[in-house]
Amino acid sequence: MQSKRKQNFSLIMFALPALVVYAVFKLYPAVTGIFYSMTNWNGLSKEYDFIGLKNFREMLSDDYFWQSVIFTIKYVVVLLVIANVMALVLAVTVESVKKGKGFFRTIFCLPNMISMIIGGYMWRFIFYKVLYYMADNWGWKFLDQSWVGDTRYAFLSIIIVASWGCVGYLMIIYMAGLQGVPTHLLEAAELDGANGWKKFWNVTFPLIQPALTVCLFWTLNSSFQVFDVIYSLTGGGPGRATQSVAVNIYEEAFRGNIRYGYATAKSTVLFLIILIITAIQLKTTQSKEEEL
Amino acid sequence: MKKKLVSMMLLLAMTLTACGNGGENTSADSKAGEVEETASVEEVSSETAPAKEVELNIMMSFPQYMDQWEDYCDQFEAKMLAEENVKVTINLEMPSADQYDSILQARLTGDDTPDLFTIQANNIQTYANAGYLTDLTNEESIAKVYDNVKETVTVDGKVMGVPIESTAWSVLYNKQMFEDAGITPPETLDELKAVCVALQEKGYTPFMLAFQEQWVPQLMTAVTLGGKTTGDIPDWLERMYKDEASYEEVREIFDVINLIMENGTKRAMEEGSEVGAADFANGAAAMFVQGTWSANTIMTTNPDMQLGVFALPVNNNPECTRINLATSTVLGVYANGLEKEVAIKFANYVLDDNDSSALFQACGFNPISSIHAFETASWVQDAYKYVEEGRSYQDLVLPSSVTDEQGRLLQELYVGSVDIDGIIERLDGAFKEANELSK
Amino acid sequence: MRGSRKHYQIFITLLLIIIGLFTSFPLILAFINSFKSNGELLSNVLSLPSKLYFDNYIRSLEKMSYFRSLGNTVFLAVLAVFFMALFSSLAGWKMCRTKTRLSKFLFAMFVFSMLIPFSSIMIPLYKVVLALGIKNSLIGLALIYAGLGESMAIFIYYGFVKGIPVEMEEAAAIDGCNSIQTFFLVVFPMLKATTATVCITNMLWVWNDFLLPLIIISDNKKYTLLLSTNTLFGQYSSDWTAILSALILAALPAILLYVIFQKNIMKGIADGAVKG
Repeated sequence: MQSKRKQNFSLIMFALPALVVYAVFKLYPAVTGIFYSMTNWNGLSKEYDFIGLKNFREMLSDDYFWQSVIFTIKYVVVLLVIANVMALVLAVTVESVKKGKGFFRTIFCLPNMISMIIGGYMWRFIFYKVLYYMADNWGWKFLDQSWVGDTRYAFLSIIIVASWGCVGYLMIIYMAGLQGVPTHLLEAAELDGANGWKKFWNVTFPLIQPALTVCLFWTLNSSFQVFDVIYSLTGGGPGRATQSVAVNIYEEAFRGNIRYGYATAKSTVLFLIILIITAIQLKTTQSKEEEL
Repeated sequence: MKKKLVSMMLLLAMTLTACGNGGENTSADSKAGEVEETASVEEVSSETAPAKEVELNIMMSFPQYMDQWEDYCDQFEAKMLAEENVKVTINLEMPSADQYDSILQARLTGDDTPDLFTIQANNIQTYANAGYLTDLTNEESIAKVYDNVKETVTVDGKVMGVPIESTAWSVLYNKQMFEDAGITPPETLDELKAVCVALQEKGYTPFMLAFQEQWVPQLMTAVTLGGKTTGDIPDWLERMYKDEASYEEVREIFDVINLIMENGTKRAMEEGSEVGAADFANGAAAMFVQGTWSANTIMTTNPDMQLGVFALPVNNNPECTRINLATSTVLGVYANGLEKEVAIKFANYVLDDNDSSALFQACGFNPISSIHAFETASWVQDAYKYVEEGRSYQDLVLPSSVTDEQGRLLQELYVGSVDIDGIIERLDGAFKEANELSK
Repeated sequence: MRGSRKHYQIFITLLLIIIGLFTSFPLILAFINSFKSNGELLSNVLSLPSKLYFDNYIRSLEKMSYFRSLGNTVFLAVLAVFFMALFSSLAGWKMCRTKTRLSKFLFAMFVFSMLIPFSSIMIPLYKVVLALGIKNSLIGLALIYAGLGESMAIFIYYGFVKGIPVEMEEAAAIDGCNSIQTFFLVVFPMLKATTATVCITNMLWVWNDFLLPLIIISDNKKYTLLLSTNTLFGQYSSDWTAILSALILAALPAILLYVIFQKNIMKGIADGAVKG
């Protein structure tokens, strides 16, 4: 057995390339970011003061920030439920279809290959032009809504586009989980007289828990940082009605009063929120998995 | 498993505290700065060498005139090589308008400022105070700039940039539709109401609304505030900066804003500025609160359009009905650039006696200097008639956070999620906050 | 029983076709309308083009410097993925095999930093880029992607290595291989599937990422596909035909690659998720 020191040395040597790029491009910027969050730097002037936790105290009474936090939580919860339910239903349905399984899988996963910037523009075309065309020429009056301007519909539009972008990805993961369910278990359940729904709930669902954990983790982490979809669709408007935390941070850092220090303080808080929620999610799903 | 997670969190906390020593970072930063400064000194001393090569980084917010500016840069490169034996290579960067601010800021904060960059004229003071801009007061090209334009780029008596887009603007209108309805541009709010009625009787929608981008609805506050304060309360802005005034005093401006919204095209939130201009050109509405900078899009979409400009009335006092004189875009020369000398030459070349007119005409910019000897479009002449009569004002310079907030609030007013009292309260708050921060 | 099965099949097939249409709706519409003249597009957005109008594409191809941008994007994505796979397989394997506190600590550090939002490191990262002089460098950008993305990759490699019996490596050591030889001759070949997973998922990310190149790359000769598309949007923001043809051009390479390699891509996504 090698000594610990020798083991650690060889570990460092092997991890060195990874460690170097990681330290330089992620860790160091993240730590400097935390330092800036304790300054009043405006991002422009060469001078700034260290002001301790003042930014964090100010955040407590910043209504716009908390409004964006609430909006983000609403978005995360709705997307989490809708996207995962849709993905799971699609996965089960595609798995059970006899002909064209590969074809459907290909189509549903297609949006995932396209950048959200590109997809966002394509949807803009639909929300700005196509739906109104249908409303005006086909008499489909229910489509004559302000898809980006009305707060309720804007939220719906954002959820539609975001789900469009991620359901296919989640579906693939669920399908992989489903393929791991042994057929003999399902057959046995069938012999015991279980119908389709019971079979799914009692046999399949517990067995795809790992896929569920991964999908929830992924949706949580990415949707808390949501920026692209909102920025390209509504720009956070009307007013601030659809501002997510990431959009709020971006505006604070680059627009208006250009308060870079304050903006980094906000992103530090965002990081903590994500960290805590992810930790809770992992803990609960893991304890559930252990139960089973 | 639980135990593992807790230990992971603890380890993470340790990483953060172990590396969170901020003091070291700043000293490292300032050292890097010193090194760079010495490097720039060397660069300057070597500048006397013949046939040298110079690289110039230019960043501009005119993606729609990319071709015109690229050609102009080529001309400059050729001219420098021929006349001064300097081989200039220009890197021209044109981010789209909504990303421009953040990219420029990233460059500035990273000590990677372009040698020349455009900024909003409203922000010129901020940039000048932060020490980014070169004083161009004594440059030959500046001397020929019209005085009223020069004023818009002057900070503490010094000209801090080359004005590029300078406009006299308020409301664009479709002359054919006005003729059709037998009406002329209104002078008072009551006349404007009558105009709306007359247009609607003819089946025309009076106002084009394009509120998707926040800066477009914001134009309504820009013109109404300017007219109202110049005509009725000239010291309002000054007092706002001292926390001694309120939007309550200019509440009247929302009368006309409401009138515009009530008589506007539908689906305003789904209409971007450029698409709005194109739709206006195709006859979607008779009037559009928009600057003459959008004339280019309008005239390309519909070359037969008879475009006109009139001043938006705010109330029934014709003294408040005025044209807004503004310089929207300014080209600044970075004060600490490595190639400052060549950069200043480029700034001068933008107002070159021989070549500038063609550029300004191709981009549809208004003449800003006596060297611009091209005939201006009829709508520009409309606007300048007001200026000649003394019925104009310099665009009000508000803190940019207040400008942004106005745009947001007007979007909200349009969708009905805020009322006038709410707007006044929030704008007063935003102004106070900006005052607080600029101290 | 049989009849209901058949009905069920028809029902779900129809259902899937409808959902499939909805999914591809934006792409189909963008595609159809990109072949229209501006006037035709404004008058009817749902009809097929009366005649194929290729001018939009010719203009977009030229304005985007399409093939150069595509070349840059391919170069960037391949290089980034190469760095990421190499660095993280080395690190992930060794971390998994080393049972020390340092190893655990490093692993935890990598894993938790997956959650750092990009917005909080953007400006400091840009300063680092300038200090190293790698602005406008595609190779530098590839290294940055490696730094930002390797947390996840290490996580995946770590999980896979855990499932590989250590005996093979011990046997190799007895045969006289040193650690490096063991890694490249014995371990790395066994990680082939994992490497494919890491490469595919990260390739998608790098290919579709926008904000990072937007800040790091200012020289338009080095523009990626998305950056040059974005520039074109700025230039023609009132002209839907220009925008739509550019969108199709920008999406096309990814779609083609997807159709060709879809089996591997699906497997990559699934493996990355389930094993990780």
